[in-house]
Amino acid sequence: MSDKDTKRYLPEGKYIMMGNVAMAEGALAAGLNFFGGYPITPSTEVIEHLAKRLPEVGGTCLQMEDELASINAVMGASLAGAKAMTATSGPGLSLMVETISMAANLEIPFVFCDVQRVGPGSHGPVTAPHHNDIGLVRFAGHGEFQVIALAPMNCQELFDLTITAFNFAETYRCPVFILSDAYLGHIHEPVYVPSKEEVIKRVIMRELPQDYSKIYSYKDNDTGAYVIPKPPIIGTDYYPPTALQLPHTTQGLPTSNILSFMEILIEKVKSNIDKISLTEEYRLEDADIVIIAYGLPVRASYRAVDEARDMGIKVGVFRLITVWPFPDEKVREVVENCKAIIIPELNYTGFIAEQVERVKKPETPMTKIPKVGVFHHPDDILNVIKEVSK
Amino acid sequence: MSDLGPRYPTEKPVQPYIQYSYGGYLYGKYNSLFCAGCGYGIIGHLFTRMFEDEKLDPKLYPLIIGVGCYTQIVTLAHYKAQKITTLHGRAPAVATGVKMANPNLKPIVFTGDGDCLGIGGNHFIHICRRNVDCTILIFNNSIYGMTGGQSAPTTLYGAKSTTTPYKVFEERSDAVKLALAAGATYIARTTVAHPRTFLKYFKKALNHKGTSVIEVITPCLTYFGSKNLDNLGAENLGLPGNKMDTGGKMIEWIKRNTIRKNQAKFMDDNELLNRYVIGEFRYDTSKPEYSEVYAKIQKVAMGDD
Repeated sequence: MSDKDTKRYLPEGKYIMMGNVAMAEGALAAGLNFFGGYPITPSTEVIEHLAKRLPEVGGTCLQMEDELASINAVMGASLAGAKAMTATSGPGLSLMVETISMAANLEIPFVFCDVQRVGPGSHGPVTAPHHNDIGLVRFAGHGEFQVIALAPMNCQELFDLTITAFNFAETYRCPVFILSDAYLGHIHEPVYVPSKEEVIKRVIMRELPQDYSKIYSYKDNDTGAYVIPKPPIIGTDYYPPTALQLPHTTQGLPTSNILSFMEILIEKVKSNIDKISLTEEYRLEDADIVIIAYGLPVRASYRAVDEARDMGIKVGVFRLITVWPFPDEKVREVVENCKAIIIPELNYTGFIAEQVERVKKPETPMTKIPKVGVFHHPDDILNVIKEVSK
Repeated sequence: MSDLGPRYPTEKPVQPYIQYSYGGYLYGKYNSLFCAGCGYGIIGHLFTRMFEDEKLDPKLYPLIIGVGCYTQIVTLAHYKAQKITTLHGRAPAVATGVKMANPNLKPIVFTGDGDCLGIGGNHFIHICRRNVDCTILIFNNSIYGMTGGQSAPTTLYGAKSTTTPYKVFEERSDAVKLALAAGATYIARTTVAHPRTFLKYFKKALNHKGTSVIEVITPCLTYFGSKNLDNLGAENLGLPGNKMDTGGKMIEWIKRNTIRKNQAKFMDDNELLNRYVIGEFRYDTSKPEYSEVYAKIQKVAMGDD
């Protein structure tokens, strides 16, 4: 075992970590080799921490000239066989979406940490949370493709879900987002780091496949399944003869069958929704009122549910860990027999509320609790629970 | 049809340049997507020639291609070369990522005047500043050819294009001066009318450790030649203008409009207006290459030092 390997993994134990640092350590545990970034509040601690840690483990951390360069360098590094990541906030994400679309087209895996802040615009309370990018990442870029977005709610999950995000990126070869936010990124919380062996067991490493005949995803006509080969690596034999930004066949050659190409880009993720969609149910067994939440508001929701249960109100939380792709079937099942739905979101629009609206019964009442730039206090949610249970 | 004789000449041509055909190494097997009179065919051929003659390992020299007409060079360049097509202007950034993720590789960047000096100017400045080990070929046809002949940052003063119907009145940007200021370590300019010079510079750039920038002046007959007269760049000399309606005339115009660096020393700005100064402008091997510097940083961080 070389020195750089021992430095990559923290010794097993409990640490007090800032959210952004937990995310960076999670990425290192997942085998991160390349980080390209540009400083933007509130994500700066990620690049600051990795600038120190990545060279220690033989990786590269570059502060590029702008967000466009950082995401493109990440794309190049990922093509060259590195596990690559970038971190930014809303305005940076807006600049990067063109490349995200391109990476989705060429099925280049990378992980994208979005530490969300108040928008629109580039000024104002930039250190306050606002889950506004959740709408942008769903269709991040031109063209049609499916992304995966994960929403952690504490520092432990920032560590764990970053590893999961890298595994999803390697497996499904699509852009994977971690939707943190300004408060979550700056909270200091205990994080349990598992032993090195435990971590390595969890991680899917980048390696060359046995079969070089297929490079891009395709639909197996016999079984109807979508097959996703390993990502190509430039500088090896496992690379397509040409890499055009056009709809392509499994060998990277241009094709006119655009419809089936779009189908592959979307269905390769959606057909695996059972494996991708991570959810959590909290006191939902006999609940009449269902709170659907993701990210920070989940914490307030759990507390509010505990208090409401003490008062005898049957209420539970259905938590989305994977926000996109949206688990239609699971949510439909949960809200089928409930009497009311409450959706606390850290934005005005209610991006997830729109999705729930789509799958719920038309007669089930739904209450949104929008907040921007501030936490949901448990009382905010409790008051609404009391109101709808009347 | 038989009375017309064989479709292709059976005799081997005697010209020294095409004694040995490189056609078999082209990815597209003689199929070029370029207009008649375009210079990219020459570039594709010269690249393939260099790739084959130098026996470059395709796994060590990835081809990173920006967006422009020359993107179609993927169909002409050596079939073994591994290519990445990038977004408009972002090729230098992708090259930085590739080089830093795998320092054994030496990216060759194909980029154009609008790609490199317009939309991607920032990335170009910063790859030169870092001195990342790669070869950047800037194909300057002084027009946006793929989108239909709009003016580029390099369009010559007084030229016409579809977005400047009343002639260009802006100063053009100079890739060589920009690269000199930004800190690239090998900088040269040549044209497709000087293929042997191009091969010489290209070979030197491939053997150079650091950012090497070669600007290649190439003709765009369809959009630039058809709209402008061949006295462009020599108006102040009072020459009558002729139409540039064939590829040969454009090549002649390029040849007439280029001045060797040594001659340019004795000319003033007025005489150099709209001219292309060709030659080598910097060859500096003293500056360290970026990935080597970063390897030292990694050593310090690992505590090996």
